[in-house]
Amino acid sequence: MKLRILIADDHEVVRRGLCALLQAREGWEICAEAKDGREAVEKAAQLKPDVVILDVGMPNLNGLAATRQLTQLDPHCKVIVLTITDSDQVIREALDAGARGFVLKSDAARDLVSAVEALQRNRMFFTPRVNDMVLAGFLDRGHHGSSGEPPRLPKLTSREREVIQLLAEGKSSKEVACVLNLSTKTAETHRSNIMRKLGFHSIRDLVVYAVKNNIIQVQMPSQLQNPTEGSAA
Amino acid sequence: MTVRILVVDDHPVVRHGLRTLLGGHPEWEIIDEAADGVEAVDKADRLKPDVVVLDITMPKMSGLEACRLIRKRVPASEILIVTQHDSPHMMREALEAGARGYVVKSNASRDLLAAVEAVSRHLPFRALNEQSVDSV
Repeated sequence: MKLRILIADDHEVVRRGLCALLQAREGWEICAEAKDGREAVEKAAQLKPDVVILDVGMPNLNGLAATRQLTQLDPHCKVIVLTITDSDQVIREALDAGARGFVLKSDAARDLVSAVEALQRNRMFFTPRVNDMVLAGFLDRGHHGSSGEPPRLPKLTSREREVIQLLAEGKSSKEVACVLNLSTKTAETHRSNIMRKLGFHSIRDLVVYAVKNNIIQVQMPSQLQNPTEGSAA
Repeated sequence: MTVRILVVDDHPVVRHGLRTLLGGHPEWEIIDEAADGVEAVDKADRLKPDVVVLDITMPKMSGLEACRLIRKRVPASEILIVTQHDSPHMMREALEAGARGYVVKSNASRDLLAAVEAVSRHLPFRALNEQSVDSV
């Protein structure tokens, strides 16, 4: 039986590249593509793919929030997170969300097939930096209990994270309600709960929070030349 | 006549995607790839492609700088910028640097073929998302 893979990235040119890369492998098929996290969650619930590959920086619902939803729906769901950065925070959030694989977009051509193979064998696949972080966290806990844990973000529900992304993308409460199939009043309640929990007084604070915490990603026109990572594809 | 294309992007997976999108055309040939601006200038100089499909944000040398150098060294090669920057300001800079065409990466599947077709005939092709055009 073929290994069925769902691919989610907001750029079709990247999806084409990922498809070309993975379809060349005998016994693997792309069962669906999605252009944002919400579509990925819907299609995964419907099609039950063996492996889901999610870009982190997607509109409407980012890849980390989508990973969280997928693993909540099915704890055995095998998700590989594809990202342009392996910052500590993105790694931590991806692991917290239940991702079993973590691949840098710049290394996808080299690592993605290995990552899918690892998940196929019920193993995990992480970049060396993620492995180091996981090991350091494990050793730290062994020596110091939980005192060495990094500071946690305020406790937000999955729904609140979704609302933050939509508000930070510039949607009104009414538009948020429409996307999430809620009443406007419920969307406004989520919005005020978020502002209270985070101690914010303006949407500007919320946008800054969303950018800092990789809930949304912004392109920086000034960074034409990037010696470390390259473009956000 | 075959249109010879050089594909330049720092992400191999994007180069794969561009190859897939462009590969369906019977009269186009991807002659090579480059992963940064320096490699792009070097390969354009040696291979004299008809069209260079060029990303902007790249290591070592940006696509804009590479565009200027390619225009100087290989004036017959046309340059099509394919970038994540959906911005009129960036498009202006690219055109000033000598690019003939400008396509936003998120619209590549819609615009790329028409853009290569146009620039290979030395015609301009410029496309931003509607909201960005509105903000000009």
